[in-house]
Amino acid sequence: MKKYFSNLALMISISYTMVSVSATVCNIMLGGQTNNMNELLMFAICIIASVVLSMHGLFDSVSPLLMMVIQYLVACALIAVLLLIISRFDTITPRGWFELYRSFTIPYIILAGIYYYSVFADARKKESLIKDLQKQMGESAGFKG
Amino acid sequence: MKLNLFEDKNILDEHVDVYFSNMRPQIKQIMDIVKSERISLSGRPADDDLDDGEEILIDPKEVYYLDYVDRKLFMYTGNGVYRIMKTLAECEELLWNYGFVRVSKSNLINIFKIKQLKPDLNMKVYAYFDNGERICVNRSYKKEFDQYLQKMRRMV
Repeated sequence: MKKYFSNLALMISISYTMVSVSATVCNIMLGGQTNNMNELLMFAICIIASVVLSMHGLFDSVSPLLMMVIQYLVACALIAVLLLIISRFDTITPRGWFELYRSFTIPYIILAGIYYYSVFADARKKESLIKDLQKQMGESAGFKG
Repeated sequence: MKLNLFEDKNILDEHVDVYFSNMRPQIKQIMDIVKSERISLSGRPADDDLDDGEEILIDPKEVYYLDYVDRKLFMYTGNGVYRIMKTLAECEELLWNYGFVRVSKSNLINIFKIKQLKPDLNMKVYAYFDNGERICVNRSYKKEFDQYLQKMRRMV
């Protein structure tokens, strides 16, 4: 459990750094502005994403595609809770809800696509390695699997 | 591998010398044979109609995969399905040199029988065998599977 929390803390730190730096670069390039509330929101979303993604072990029995969909829906539900809490202290317009979900969904779909591709690429690489092993074993000492 | 055989009717101490560059699975298999520890799995036909009470010896090279179902271990070959009285962990250890690797809690597969390794659209990766069957390579065993292939590549 201690290892899980230390890994989770590391994931949160890395993801927040990446999101924060990316947002800063975008702001510099596009001339946008941010405030303390946005920074805290980014941090909260990084925590939600890290916690949800770290639960992948619970979904071993289901397909990765279904796992990603479930994780996305859980993350969306947690973000909704977060926004409801924030809305008690500040006003959030429907546009604000939409923007936040869009900001979360786009990177999620991009990363899911990369993961999807990596599964196929990895399988191809392993298949080629297995073929090489079969060939080498077949060539030596009349061994044929 | 070159094989030299020398017949000498007067020899009292029969022996085998093996010259090798690295200790790979074939060499270990030769050692098993010389030490009379050749791995042979014995099992009884899983189909009750074919089971006459006799155990049948099966060469590991003929086995596609092992499947643990309802606390019973079954071995799938080209000729049929056999039940063996060993645990999956025991078989995993015994068959390491013969290309068998654990890919899920209940399956041990023979990598030399794999025809194709392909993910489905739902991203589950399956090992397809030349007999048309397929076994899922579980995500939680991916690391062990990778390590096994890398070890075999270094050894072969």
